Amino acid sequence: MTPLARLAVYLLAAPLIGGLLAGLDRKISARMQSRRGPPIWQPFYDVLKLWDKENMVVRRSQDYYVFFFLVLVVFTGGLFFAGSDLLLVVFALTLAAIFFVLGAYKASSPYSFIGAERELLQMMAYEPMIILTAVGMYMVSGSFYVHDIASRPRLLLLSLPGVFLGFVFCLVIKFRKSPFDISCSHHAHQELVRGILTEFSGRTLAMIEVAHWFENVLLLGWVFLFFGSSPIAGVCAALAVFLLIVVVDNACARVKWPAMLKWAWLTTLVLGFGNILALGFF
Amino acid sequence: MLAFKKSPWIIHYDASSCNGCDIETLACLTPVYDAERLGVINTGNPKHADIFMVTGAVNAESRDVIRNIYHQLPEPKVVVAIGSCAASGGIFRECYNVSGGVDTVIPVDVYVAGCAARPEAIIDGVVRAVQLLESKHKSMMEAARGIDRMVYEQAVLSDVAELLALQMVTYKSEAEIYGDDSLPALQQTLAEMEADFAQWWFVKAVINGKIVGAVQCRVEGNTGYIRRCTVHPYFRRRGIARRLITEAEQTFSPEVTRFETLTGHKSRRNIAMCEKLGYSIFKTEPFLPTIQWVYLQKERK
Repeated sequence: MTPLARLAVYLLAAPLIGGLLAGLDRKISARMQSRRGPPIWQPFYDVLKLWDKENMVVRRSQDYYVFFFLVLVVFTGGLFFAGSDLLLVVFALTLAAIFFVLGAYKASSPYSFIGAERELLQMMAYEPMIILTAVGMYMVSGSFYVHDIASRPRLLLLSLPGVFLGFVFCLVIKFRKSPFDISCSHHAHQELVRGILTEFSGRTLAMIEVAHWFENVLLLGWVFLFFGSSPIAGVCAALAVFLLIVVVDNACARVKWPAMLKWAWLTTLVLGFGNILALGFF
Repeated sequence: MLAFKKSPWIIHYDASSCNGCDIETLACLTPVYDAERLGVINTGNPKHADIFMVTGAVNAESRDVIRNIYHQLPEPKVVVAIGSCAASGGIFRECYNVSGGVDTVIPVDVYVAGCAARPEAIIDGVVRAVQLLESKHKSMMEAARGIDRMVYEQAVLSDVAELLALQMVTYKSEAEIYGDDSLPALQQTLAEMEADFAQWWFVKAVINGKIVGAVQCRVEGNTGYIRRCTVHPYFRRRGIARRLITEAEQTFSPEVTRFETLTGHKSRRNIAMCEKLGYSIFKTEPFLPTIQWVYLQKERK
């Protein structure tokens, strides 16, 4: 496929796949709690409903930040699936997250403030590992371009097992799942009202939801990249990682933020950095 | 639309009383009844919710909380009062600090009977609320399309609940301008507004049977007082308020030679609209620490 064709497929399929994954998440969570659970299409109903609700804001400008969050997430995914530079993907994704945080700060409510602060902490926790992943992939394949990394004949996983594990660990933080759902819990009544999402409603909340679908597809695409040479294994691995995160989400209690930072950085140091050191020696 | 039927998000508040209905409401979300299979999420955040479920009688402490949560629910929204206490005050009705059911504070759409209400009954109430939510959304959409089929007429006493609901929704944006929820229009109860009908008459703007705008009028001497011009947030910036005031001016008898109205000093849009209609500012006076009243007048032509 040409980069443009891949981009088109991504733009059409990502919201669909992302939404279905979110539905699958709720279904599996329900089954783990021996409930029947909502239909798998539920996230789409939610977003359609939110689109028609009144949009209440504290400040009008908070909506623009969220709009740019969505645009940048879609842009980042586009870069990735068109086969562009992995470093650019990392920075664009960070910029998108920063816009989301700014939107929450703009709302100036104590709940959304604490949510935004915690989101920044989460970014601090996962960001080093994400960059090390890009670096590790470069060291093995000799290129930062997704296109080159994906077309490498040998499995990346064989050379980067530590980086892979570290990356999966950071995905739990990035997906905002227990034990690291500290900036906004998926179960809103548990803590901080709804953290970073507290002051968003209606269409803006729908946009955030759709942005998360795009983001999740991008991140699972990154998991796929570790298995670039055998696509079937890649898809299975991405799905398995997603299911693992859902299971972990249901099986764990939330930790405090210092524990999150400590664990995330330890993982980055031992698995990520250790793996890259080993690459340097052998 | 289908989506409103499929994804009712609720917020639940226990106003007072024995917590029996409170516990039964939460029981609906447990694996036994699993309300989430119907798309129900207990949001805990009014800004994300569609259905406001209130249990227990209203007392002096919870009155403001209920009102506050109600205002923070985005439209369209439905209120469900669960249990005898929420409906009428129940066995606490005669208590010195209890003002009665939830409908003494905010408009209620669905009442679920029982002491305590059974989870099955509560789920039935939610299902009914979902239907109402859908019909509210539909009528709102139809109204938005039929803006030229608007009818302006005098309101009657039976409109008072709808007028109060409209006032609550409308004045929220004013409260945001001043950062103050203590505006008198937001504090009004159903009984107080009914009492207002003795002094004031109301002109309403109606589309498809739904009141989307209203204004209040009163005569004293040769002056016609016009106040509280409200237009539902969905229908703003379409000239409804201007038309309402013009219609209101025509309801005054010929003896009235002068019109007077007032608004807050930061409500620049209101002042600009009045000035377009020929009103001019003649005095300002402090009212609350955050608000100064601006008085506007106009001679009748």
